Amino acid sequence: MTQTLTRRRGATSVPLARRTGPRGADVRAGYTFLLPWLLGFIVLTVGPMLSSLYLSFTNYNLFEAPKWIGFDNYVNLFSDDRFLQSVQVTLSYVVFGTPLKLAAALAVALLLNNATRGQGFYRSAFYAPSLIGASVSIAIVWKAMFGDNGPVDQGLSFFGINLGGWVGNPNMTMPMMILLTVWQFGAPMVIFLAGLKQIPTELYEAASMDGAGRVRKFVNITFPMLSPVVFFNLLLETIHAFQIFASAYIISNGEGGPAGSTLFYTLYLYLRGFSDFRMGYASAMAWLLVIVVGIITLLFFRTSKSWVHYSGDSR
Amino acid sequence: MISRRNFLTTVAVGTVSAAALAACGQSPSQQGSAQNPVTLNYTWWGNDDRAERTRKAIDLFQSKNPDIKINGNFTDFAGYWQKRATEAAGGGLPDVMQWDLSYLRDYAQRNQLLDLGTVKINLDGFDKTLLPSGQVRGKTYGIPTSTNAFAVYYDPAKLKEIGVAEPTGKWSYAEYKKWLGDVGAKSGGKYFGGADFTGVWWQFNIWLRQKNIQAFTDEGKLGFSKDNLKEWWSLASDLRGTPAIIPPDRATQLKPKSAFGANAAASESTWDNFMAAYLKDSGAKELKLVPVPSDDQGNLGLFLKPSMLMVASAKTKYKEAAARFIDFMVNDPEVGNIFKTSRGVPASKTQREGTTFEGADKAVVDYEKSIEKYLKDAPQPPIVGFGTLEAAFLRTSEDLNYGKLTIDGAVDQWFKEAEDVIKQNA
Repeated sequence: MTQTLTRRRGATSVPLARRTGPRGADVRAGYTFLLPWLLGFIVLTVGPMLSSLYLSFTNYNLFEAPKWIGFDNYVNLFSDDRFLQSVQVTLSYVVFGTPLKLAAALAVALLLNNATRGQGFYRSAFYAPSLIGASVSIAIVWKAMFGDNGPVDQGLSFFGINLGGWVGNPNMTMPMMILLTVWQFGAPMVIFLAGLKQIPTELYEAASMDGAGRVRKFVNITFPMLSPVVFFNLLLETIHAFQIFASAYIISNGEGGPAGSTLFYTLYLYLRGFSDFRMGYASAMAWLLVIVVGIITLLFFRTSKSWVHYSGDSR
Repeated sequence: MISRRNFLTTVAVGTVSAAALAACGQSPSQQGSAQNPVTLNYTWWGNDDRAERTRKAIDLFQSKNPDIKINGNFTDFAGYWQKRATEAAGGGLPDVMQWDLSYLRDYAQRNQLLDLGTVKINLDGFDKTLLPSGQVRGKTYGIPTSTNAFAVYYDPAKLKEIGVAEPTGKWSYAEYKKWLGDVGAKSGGKYFGGADFTGVWWQFNIWLRQKNIQAFTDEGKLGFSKDNLKEWWSLASDLRGTPAIIPPDRATQLKPKSAFGANAAASESTWDNFMAAYLKDSGAKELKLVPVPSDDQGNLGLFLKPSMLMVASAKTKYKEAAARFIDFMVNDPEVGNIFKTSRGVPASKTQREGTTFEGADKAVVDYEKSIEKYLKDAPQPPIVGFGTLEAAFLRTSEDLNYGKLTIDGAVDQWFKEAEDVIKQNA
């Protein structure tokens, strides 16, 4: 009783005293345990990011001291044909690749959700590609599959479609890259699957009694109930798509070819920095990407109010 | 995989670890002894074949110099320069490095390389016209290991198979083009004549020399005009899309092999030290070399270029040891016998005369002898940023082959990039 009283009095009359109490010790302990990560975060992430922000306003070739040039790098970007090409390539990858990947993930998740036997096996099997997908070996395999006389070329020829190798054809490299990302739908699929399990079955039962068909149920129950998960996946995959690098680097031998068709944003950034020694320019590209992805994320959050339904919402 | 964040982290980690390594490298004594040898880091680019030969050379050096240990490391050509850039930024370039003419000025002018005039390396065996190619602003930064000359390769067996006569090497560009067309037409689609020769910077450079035009002025500006480049790229405009030259989509898919190495074309113009690599890639029994075409048979525009140079880092702690290793690599006859012509023909007379050349190696040496009377001085190290320009040249020509650019558009685009690079590095 006395203890409670003192504590309460301490809390109301001298609020700062709480810090030295048991909770303050907790906080200290918490930060102590956090320290290794925090140090790494500041030294390896925040520090380099800030220094790249500074470099983006300079002309820096890695050898000599950076020269301050103000916004020149940012301005010059827009008269650089290769930069504009890289923006176009990346945007078409994001705009077509991401929705396709999510659609594939959702479709497979719906199928798996209904499966009664062997669900664990199928889930692992479909998830596997996204575990190995970012690796160098897969990009190499992909290149071989879509090359001249590769399995894809031969398979299509069997049906009378003669496209030749996709790898050397500037019009076919983008579909090839998109197929590569769609194939790695495992991660969003698992999240969709978890979301599907959360939807109460009585909703479907009630809808069945009202005579709703499969499509009706999907449009009016599944999708709205799943919308927070859809939103989460959309956000994550969009950001992820902007950052594509390794597969493009491998498939084009680090050149972004043929004819600039795989010159993704990050690949051009890398080439500018490490092949042309223009670190200031590359830093400006990096920061422009941060800003654009930030704006897109913000837009997603703004529009989400009209289509994402959280449980407990009245809308 | 490099995402934006990882990219920055990579730079930071690279910088920090390079700094840490540099700190660890400090040693009280700069001289090693057999009991306590100093360790030199040495790095080169190349394939497995070169790695094997280099290891042999390193073993030999270590047995002769027990007070020095060589820690060798290699990558492919493209990755090589990206790695050097990061190391240089962190102040941790390896002690001794294999180097390319295209990048000599970039690093020498920025004080990254050791002035080799300050250490003892025997240069008696070197041709005096070759040494300037390792010099920047009057100081020697690179010692050529070997020389190469530009040539047209062809496979005699393929020509016999399709019934086309072997070229004599005394040809004008018109004859060369007709020959390429003949190969493409007579092989019935089996072989293309060659790759688009106008995409190769050095052949353009040689063509300019045939017209007595300097590629770069002494002030580091472009020495040729848009019209020159337009004329050059137009040279092949009636060949593109015909069997005379391989279409770009085929060529792209054969990478990293060349069309010639992959047996898709009967000829290829490039440096003569590719012989060993081409023999291995194509499996051909014999490949032959002839000079590139010239419309002025009195001036072939050819020259011996250092195929690679040996350089040392300006920050190396062991200058004397580094010099001894470089001296060994460029002068020792046994090293010549290990590498043969896979680095090019040995530049030092001591090494060249101590090496026995047979078969394909002999063909390369003979080719360089046969063009001796046409050779002119080697060009000085090209301008800062030349590596970027050379890559842009090839890329623009590829876009031309894909039909993404007109010749005028291609010329404008390359000049824009070139002027930008020159302005950047002025």
